[in-house]
This record gives sequence, C-alpha cells and structure tokens, in this order.
Amino acid sequence: MTSTTGIKLETVSRSFNGRETIVQALDDVSLNCPAGSFTALIGPSGCGKSTMLRLSLGLDEPTSGEICIAGMKPQQAVKAGLTGVAFQDAALMPWRSVEDNIALPLDVLGRKRSDFTGKIAELIELVGLKGFEKALPGELSGGMRQRVAIARALVTDPRVLFLDEPFGALDQILRRQMNLELQRIWMESCATTLLVTHGIDEAVFLADRVVVMQNRPGRIGEIVDIPLARPRLPEVFTTPEFHALEDQVAEALDGH
Amino acid sequence: MATKTAFGTAKRATDFRHWSAFRNAAILLVVWEVLGRFKLVASGALPAPTEVLVRFWQDRGDYSAHILATFQGASLGFLIGNGLAILAGILFAVSPVAARLGRGLNVAIFALPPIAISPILVLTFSGMTPRVVLAALGCYFVTMSATVTGISQTDRRMLDVVRAYGGGRLALLRLVEVRAALPAVLAGLRVAAPAAVLGSILAEFGGGGRFGLGAYLIGSLGRADPARLWGIGLAATCMALIAYGIFAFIEARLTRSTRAVTVAATPLGIRAEGSFLSTVVITLASIALPFIVWWSLLKVLGTPAMIAKTPAGVFDYLFLAPSAPSAQSRMIAALTQTLPMTLLGMAAGLAFAFALALATVVRPGIVRSFMPVALVTQTMPLVALTPLLVLLLGRGLSVILWITISVTFFPAFVTLAQGLGMVSRGALDVVRAYGASPLTQLRLVSIPASLPYLFAAMRLAVPRALLGVMIAEWLATGTGLGNLLNQSRGYLDYGMIWSVAMASVLISVFFYQIVIFIERRVLGQYGMQPAE
Repeated sequence: MTSTTGIKLETVSRSFNGRETIVQALDDVSLNCPAGSFTALIGPSGCGKSTMLRLSLGLDEPTSGEICIAGMKPQQAVKAGLTGVAFQDAALMPWRSVEDNIALPLDVLGRKRSDFTGKIAELIELVGLKGFEKALPGELSGGMRQRVAIARALVTDPRVLFLDEPFGALDQILRRQMNLELQRIWMESCATTLLVTHGIDEAVFLADRVVVMQNRPGRIGEIVDIPLARPRLPEVFTTPEFHALEDQVAEALDGH
Repeated sequence: MATKTAFGTAKRATDFRHWSAFRNAAILLVVWEVLGRFKLVASGALPAPTEVLVRFWQDRGDYSAHILATFQGASLGFLIGNGLAILAGILFAVSPVAARLGRGLNVAIFALPPIAISPILVLTFSGMTPRVVLAALGCYFVTMSATVTGISQTDRRMLDVVRAYGGGRLALLRLVEVRAALPAVLAGLRVAAPAAVLGSILAEFGGGGRFGLGAYLIGSLGRADPARLWGIGLAATCMALIAYGIFAFIEARLTRSTRAVTVAATPLGIRAEGSFLSTVVITLASIALPFIVWWSLLKVLGTPAMIAKTPAGVFDYLFLAPSAPSAQSRMIAALTQTLPMTLLGMAAGLAFAFALALATVVRPGIVRSFMPVALVTQTMPLVALTPLLVLLLGRGLSVILWITISVTFFPAFVTLAQGLGMVSRGALDVVRAYGASPLTQLRLVSIPASLPYLFAAMRLAVPRALLGVMIAEWLATGTGLGNLLNQSRGYLDYGMIWSVAMASVLISVFFYQIVIFIERRVLGQYGMQPAE
C-alpha cells in the first residue's frame, strides 16, 4: 500500500496570538505529496515552511484543517515510528556519543537497541563517520554533527522523511556533497521526503516538485515541477535546463 | 592551530590569576600576622594566624566532637533538603500550575531568616532535628530554583527531536531534561553545601545540644579568648569550603559533556496565561499555602497549643488577647530599630558591590585577583562568624551595619561581577570600534546590561540583610527584633517568639516582592529578562 505513505495537508491554517496582533503563519494550505516523492519547500523567512513541518510531525496543532501522514494523524504516525526528522540545527545531545545520538529515536520509541546495532554501524559508514562512533558532539565539526543528525533521521527506516534546512549551516562545497548523498539515500529508501530549504539550487537538484511559498500570510504561491532525470549527477548543476528551472523558482519567489 | 594558541593564552591567563590570588593571600596573611602579633586591632581582638593555629592545636581534643555534630546535622539536612528540592523543582518545571501554587511557599522559605525560626524549632523538636530542618531549609530554595532553571532552559531543539518521535512528558524528562539540568542542579548543590553548614550552626546558636561548632562558638563567646573563637570560625569556614569544593569538582567534571555546541535560535515559549479568575484563585491559594502548611505541620506533629502557635494563635496574641497592646508596642519598638538598619546596611552593601563590580570592567586587572577572595567569602558561613565581628567592632550600632554590609556585599558582588562578565563581547566591540573610552563603555553597554543582575543581587540581599541585622542584634547589641526574639526565648514567651518569626518572614517577603515588582517594571521597559 505505497499510496498510504504520502503526506497530505488539507486546507490547513495555523495562527499565533502575538502581543496585540494575530499572526497568520499558514493560511488555507493544501498540499499532497504522493508516496515516494521528493518535495522541496522554499520561501522567504516567516512564510510558514517550518510551521508546516512542525504540524506534520505533531509538534504543533493546526488551528483548522486536516493533516494526514501515511494515512494517519501526525501524532499516530510519529508514535508508530513511520517518520524521521533532521532539524535545521543538528540538535544533538551533547552528553550522548555519536552512536547514542543516532540511537535516540529507538530509545524514544521503546525499540530494542540491540536489534539495530548493524543498522547504526551501516548509517555511520554511510555518512562517513567511521571511527567517530564514541565521539561526543563537542568533538566534531559542524558538518560532521549535521551528518550525525541525518543518520539519526534514517535510523528507524522512516517511510516519511522530514528535513528542515538540514544543510543550512554547511559551506557550499560540503552542501553539494551532502545533496548527492541525500539523493542516493532517498533513491535507495523510497521514503516520501519533504525538504525545507533556503537554497534554490538545492531545491531544484533534489526535488520532484518545488513548492514556492509566500509570506504574510504564509501560503503556497506556486508549484514548480522539476522534470530532470534521475539519478542527477553533479554535472546537472551547470546545464541550461537547470538554470532555467532555477530562474523559474526565483521568479515564483519574487511573486511574478 | 588557532585553537591551540587560544587555549594557551587562556591557560596563561588562569595561571596568572592563580598566582596573583596566591600572592594577595600571602600578603594578607603577613599583614594579619603583624597586626595580631602587635595587638594593633581592637586591643588584641584580632589574634595573629599563628596564635589561632597554636590555640587550634591545643583545643584539638574538643574539635572532633563538635565538627562531627555539625557535620551530622548539616549532611542529613543536605540530603533531605536537596532531595525534596529536586523533586519539587521537577514538579514545578513540569507543571506551571504547581509552580504558581508553590510560589508563596517558595518565597517564604527563601525569605525566612533562619535565626528567627531556630528558637521555634528548638522548642518544637528535640535532638538533632532543629539542625537538620534548618540545614534542609537552607538548601531547599537554591537547589529547587536551580532544578527549575536547568529543566526549563533545556535546549528546545533537543526536546523537539524527542517529541518528533512521539516522546511524551516522561520521555522528555528521562531522555533530555534531567540530564540537561544536571550541571545546573550540581551548581545548586555546590551553593547549598555551605548553606547546610550555616543552617546547622545557626540552629546550634538557638540552643539544643552540647556539641556542634555553633554551640562551641556561643559557649566560648564569654571566655575572652579571641584565638579560640577565630579557630572555630576557621574550622566552620573549612567545612563549608570543602563541601563547596567537592561539588565544584564534580560539576566541573560533568559540565564538559553537557555544554551545548551551538546557540539555540528559537526564543523561549511565551508562558500560557489562564483566565483572570483562575489567576486570582491560584495567587490566593499560593499565598494561603504557607499558612496551611504551617498549621497542618503543627497538627501532624501534635505539639501542645501552648508552645506551638497556629496562624490564628499568633493573630490572637498580637490583636485580641488582653496582653495584646503590650505585645504590639514591644513589637513596634523592635521594628523601628531593626528596619532602618536593614535598609541602610543593604543599600550600602549593594552600592559598594555595584561600584566595585563596575570597576572590574574598567580595570579588570586590579579586581581580578579580588574575585577568588570574594568567591571564598561566598562559601564562608559569614553570619555564623558574627561573634568574631563583635570581638573586632564592639557592641555598638556600627557592628550591625558592618555585619549587614558584609553579608550583602559579597553575594551581590559575585552576582554582579559574573553578570558583567557575561556582557556580550560583540556589544562592547561595537562601541570600542568607535573609540569609546572605558567610561563610555560602562555608560552605554555595561551598566544597562547589568541591570538584571543588579536586581538579582537585590533579591538575594533582602533576606540576608534581615538575617544579618537580627543576628547582630541577638548576639551583640541587644536591640530590635533579634533581641526581642532572644528575650522571649528566655521568658518562654511563646506568643512573642512566633510573632517575631512571622513578622520577620513577612517583612522579608514584603521587601522581596517590592524588588520583584520594580524589577518587572524596569526590565519590562528595557525588554530584558530577569537573571537567575
């Protein structure tokens, strides 16, 4: 039943009560991410990208509207261990080693760590942190920490993956490398992925569709389809089609 | 390589600091020795360090029993007080309603001058219990608020990760908050350890038991033997310092793996406010709670009503009984003596601390070596050393003022200096980049930035000032509330003992609330958060 592992938002609104005003973070947003698709969310600050992600993870409740993750309410899907998430900041626990940080979702979900030792070792290898299993986050560089967070997001073999600007803190070179890695991981796992990003090139390179959002109130402006063939190689960054798609997204961002 | 160099410089700086601290301590000891040897201070009231040590050696047979007794009271109180404090802290951090309900009780415990309730405890309990209770009370507030702070300042991003996998309240506590709060809790324990020693000694002042450093100090007060008094003071200080040092060591070992590696970007959540009615109900309940606890404790303990006065009993004594007018006039007379001294001492201590803390910004070198001394004094059971100050300053009114200044100055200075040390480099660099002089830097950055810490220091100083004044009155001058308490103890005037205790707690809470009120107004205007 692959069709039930998608992300579906139906007329979702979320408002916050400020000191004197009501801030409409999301206004009547509907979005359907089919199972196995890769969707990128892009938009100016305050357009509700992160709010959408938080709502989808059950970290917050919509003021109105419905959200369906793999055919369930967000809270249920999350408790069933169907989702994985990497936040903007690695958000590692400074007292847990690399291994233990990756195993954190298992501890929360009450799964036996011993069943996953192989999986954890495999993920550490995948993100290129072999030899750092016992290191504490304070001993790692920013890029390494972010890779731990990616490995942590993947440890439960999620059917739905949420990424909130996971490479925002990385330099451009490392970012490109991580984009390639992410594409490979996604193609292997077939997880429905929602990526929040600020980078137009990143969005176009990774996604099947780029959802361009507008702010005040936060809403979906335009959806740009990215028909580039997979797997996309680094060379694609320099092609005219790629630039044309980038321009299209940039124009949508400007509100044309 | 850059990190290596930075580390090297930092190491050299600490080496320098240690060295200059040692140098200053050595100079101090030599001056002290000369002053003592030639009896230059108050005709021999300040004995030379060597004389103190010789006397200590001669008395060594006495010390073990006294130290052991104080240690027992302090350590048992430490365990009980901190155990309750951590549990309460977790409860308050998890449930905002519980925190608002417990506020009245917490403020009352924070503000109560231990000396005021020590006679009550000695009357109500027997044996070690008064010491344990006072030591526990001394620990409670520090550790409770450290726990709350530690838990509520947990990095929200870590909490989000756990919540994103469906982690509930318990999972958050177990996997993140308890561990994240550990350094804060240990910092609380570090401050609570000397407070427990102080609590035990103060309870020993109030009577009950032959052994204990406090009992030894009071017993030796009349014997014109300054060297012995200083020896006892030294022993008490060492106990407090060792207790402080042990937890400082554990804290330093553990903190390294807890410090967050990046700065949290998301602001703290806005506290959810209930309806007006529920706020009023909770506030009233919070004020009533201390009285309910007081009343029910007496009921549970079954203390005879003659000795143990309930809130109603105190009201009856002060306003309804035939002797009420006399009680009232004695109380008012005592208050008119105590209150001005408290305010004056507190203002002077705070002003001095603020001036010196600002001086640390302009001339870091001069005061840097003073900081270790101030930190050591922080852990000294300064209030318990009042007899030494009486020895030095006599029994005039000035002794009250000096004791009050000394007990408010050091904590205020440490709070302010540490607060000023946290002023963002960036903010200072901006004004420096425009060539601002040290004074301009003070005016534009350091003073405004230190406001939250000034208020934090004031909050800290209020109960300490009252405690200092009352102890000085009790032990030295024979005036005011402290003396009234001591006299009533002698006359077995239970009604007055309870009345003085309640009055001192109420005064302390009242001034504390005034500080909080002004703090909220002023900081709110500048968009600042109160400092913990």
